Amino acid sequence: MPAVQETIEQVRRIDVDQYKYGFETLIESDKAPKGLNEDIIRFISAKKGEPEWMTEWRLAAYRRWLTMEEPTWARVSYPKIDFQDIHYYAAPKGMTGPRSLDEVDPELLRTYEKLGIPLREQEILAGVRRSGEPSTLDGDGASDNVYQSGRVAVDAVFDSVSVVTTFKKELAKAGVIFCSISEAIREHPELVRKYLGSVVPPTDNFYATLNSAVFTDGSFVYVPKGVRCPMELSTYFRINERNTGQFERTLIIADEGAYVSYLEGCTAPQRDENQLHAAVVELIALDDAEIKYSTVQNWYPGDTEGKGGVYNFVTKRGDCRGRNSKISWTQVETGSAITWKYPSCLLRGDNSRGEFYSIAVSNGHQQIDSGTKMIHLGKNTSSRIISKGISAGRSNNTYRGQVSIHRKAENARNFTNCDSLLIGNDCGAHTVPYIEAKNSTAKVEHEATTSKISEDQKFYVMQRGIPEEEAIALIVNGFVKDVIQELPMEFAVEAQKLINISLEGSVG
Amino acid sequence: MNVQTQIKRTAAEEALLAAFAERGTKLPGDAKVAERREEAVLLLQRGLPNRKVEAWHYTDLRRLLSAVPSFDAGGPAAPRAPLLEGSFVLPVLNGVATPPLAIDGVAVSKVADRLADGSLAPLLRLEGSDDTVSAINAAFAADGFVVDVPAGAEVAAPIELQNIQAGGQVHTRFAVTVGEGAKATFVERQAGEGDAFVSSVSHLQVEDDAEVLWLILQEQPEGANHLGRISLTMGKRAKVTLFVMNSGGKLVRQELRIVAEGEGSELRLRGVNLLAGDTHCDVTMVLDHAAPHTVSTETIRNVVTGRAEGAFQGQIRVARHAQKTDAKMACNTLLLSDEGGFSAKPELEIFADDVACGHGATVTEIEADHLFYLMARGIDEKTARGLLVKAFLAEVVEELENEQMVDALEARLNTWFAEHG
Repeated sequence: MPAVQETIEQVRRIDVDQYKYGFETLIESDKAPKGLNEDIIRFISAKKGEPEWMTEWRLAAYRRWLTMEEPTWARVSYPKIDFQDIHYYAAPKGMTGPRSLDEVDPELLRTYEKLGIPLREQEILAGVRRSGEPSTLDGDGASDNVYQSGRVAVDAVFDSVSVVTTFKKELAKAGVIFCSISEAIREHPELVRKYLGSVVPPTDNFYATLNSAVFTDGSFVYVPKGVRCPMELSTYFRINERNTGQFERTLIIADEGAYVSYLEGCTAPQRDENQLHAAVVELIALDDAEIKYSTVQNWYPGDTEGKGGVYNFVTKRGDCRGRNSKISWTQVETGSAITWKYPSCLLRGDNSRGEFYSIAVSNGHQQIDSGTKMIHLGKNTSSRIISKGISAGRSNNTYRGQVSIHRKAENARNFTNCDSLLIGNDCGAHTVPYIEAKNSTAKVEHEATTSKISEDQKFYVMQRGIPEEEAIALIVNGFVKDVIQELPMEFAVEAQKLINISLEGSVG
Repeated sequence: MNVQTQIKRTAAEEALLAAFAERGTKLPGDAKVAERREEAVLLLQRGLPNRKVEAWHYTDLRRLLSAVPSFDAGGPAAPRAPLLEGSFVLPVLNGVATPPLAIDGVAVSKVADRLADGSLAPLLRLEGSDDTVSAINAAFAADGFVVDVPAGAEVAAPIELQNIQAGGQVHTRFAVTVGEGAKATFVERQAGEGDAFVSSVSHLQVEDDAEVLWLILQEQPEGANHLGRISLTMGKRAKVTLFVMNSGGKLVRQELRIVAEGEGSELRLRGVNLLAGDTHCDVTMVLDHAAPHTVSTETIRNVVTGRAEGAFQGQIRVARHAQKTDAKMACNTLLLSDEGGFSAKPELEIFADDVACGHGATVTEIEADHLFYLMARGIDEKTARGLLVKAFLAEVVEELENEQMVDALEARLNTWFAEHG
């Protein structure tokens, strides 16, 4: 079909431009020297003005890390990482933490505007620059997105520091604490001390332990008793500096009866070398609380030859500590050269509920090994897992998930559905569920399928005059609909676009 | 630091290595066989697998195999009456094959002889560092049967391979080839008395257009540790039904290694695992769809009572060129006890894009609605539960076309219920 061939060619030509966040911000930065030792950790801790206990906490994690080995069980392969060849701290010159916007380097603000993240509250609120209006900055800037709706508070993390956190005052009125983790360690040590490491202990796994030793920034959220957080909270992570690793740490606590919805976005410049991103996210939901955590992960995936890209080794875990609590993870994974990520729920409280909705799209040479863990400990706990994997190009996409019903988890209930879609003949799709039941009142159901887009489906759509590429996009959108529906509305639109871009050039 | 400390060997590991040092030179085999045995022992020297070894995730052999008995069986073993009347019976008693029976047109020889002349050496090869069952067996295998069904033959009656022991340690091999277009039915019977340690490895090569029904019946006494493995290769358009029934043993590992090598081959795998008492039973399947247009269906049904622990790992791999593969796997478990447990790991590993593959796994208690339905009709709870469990299992058994076999298996289900239901 010549028409289709043409489309493919067109798409190939624009190939590298597909990743539209691949630009670099030229800004001077303060960096720690390459390498990792106790001095570097003390340096990071000092930079952040941390109290003694925090420094000790980090050092204990570091000493533990030295005794650990890199995990090799995931279905991903990459050259050995030289942990001494990375800068563990990088911050725009003169920045050690968030401050008023007037003091922020205009180059940084420009970066965020290019990414479509407005940081000037008054601008957002006043609608100074409405969507569609040309940007004051050159180049095609922001597109319509969730961040411009005015209903989202953003913590912007650039390399190792939080640049600014918006709407802090408005949130404070409701009693919600939303700030960078470094600030929280200084301002709210009692909360941090109580909850940090209580879900993902510093000894948890190789990357989480490394993170515990060297984490630089991230967000802290505390929603007090009975408060429904008045707006969506969001953190936007950007890796900019060369040869750096980003080690973010996020801690979200929803006290009794509280509700919070949190979004996470991330991008990085296009580079030939690989960059390491090892984050830890801890969620804690007390009695009757609910946390909704959504991620659109769009780190630089590497070029068509598989060169460059971010290694995304992330530990995310939610603890439904209280009765009737609920934690829901929604993720759209389109970026990163390698993804190693299993957002999990510990269902400790009776009647608690965990949810995991995931779309993982891999193209080019990307490798994804992702899934979830639902650990049922309390009575009447329930969990639901919906995972949709799409592999194209020469990528490998693995779902790895565990559902474990413990001895005392009476009337536990789980439903799991993982579907994989293969586009093209050079990719792989894998499903590795672990199902473990130790209580007879448990009800565990798991189903998985792998298939390609059938000729019939494609024919049906194309017959109506829709070109092949669009037809595929349409079918794929139908395939992932169950998950998209779980995303906050504006985010859903963005995610859908992202999936289409990720799959461009995969028809053939 | 990352310094690997010398592993402290467990009693079982020590005993296995000591047994080889003592018996190794006395086992049948030429130089090539001896070389294979050395390779196997090399693997054993690295220690038995623990749960960090992915293939052994649910069966920590290092911990569970606490001891191995001596080779002395302590008494004679007698052949069993065949499952299906009129079968040709080939018994291995306490690890020694009885003189082969004459079966019409089918060539039968003893594994001991075929090891001595070196012709079975290639079968002793290991399939990777986690192939511990083959390694234990290859190190010690002394006897068993080699059966060749010639091309085009249709064997008149089922052939029953028995591996019976009175105790001690037994390591048996069976090697069966079914020629082009031939048809045959086999029963592999694993049974005995006492606290034996048994390993049994079967090879089944099914040539183009051949049809085979192979039933594995593992009914070891509750003190016995049983490591079983069948390695099945299917030629073009070959049709195989593999039925596995486990209803005994203390520590049981049954590995099913299947390669659909020929285009258009079809596999039907059915499993029934009846777990009671303190049994730990692990069925692990690895199935390669290595050719286009291959079809497979796998249904595993488990019933867990008492303090029994069960596991099913089923990995379906589809090679890049194996387009139009159709594979469907289901693993359903009735967990009837709060002291027992069941774990399932159904895996799909797919490299071809034009396939239809799926798997499902469930673990539940008996459906309350179903129970109510029966009890509302005046059936007492125990009977009603029994009926429902039996229905759950009979569904799989009744798929077999061989009526005689269905009856024999259902009789076994009834006996098991009478004891454990």
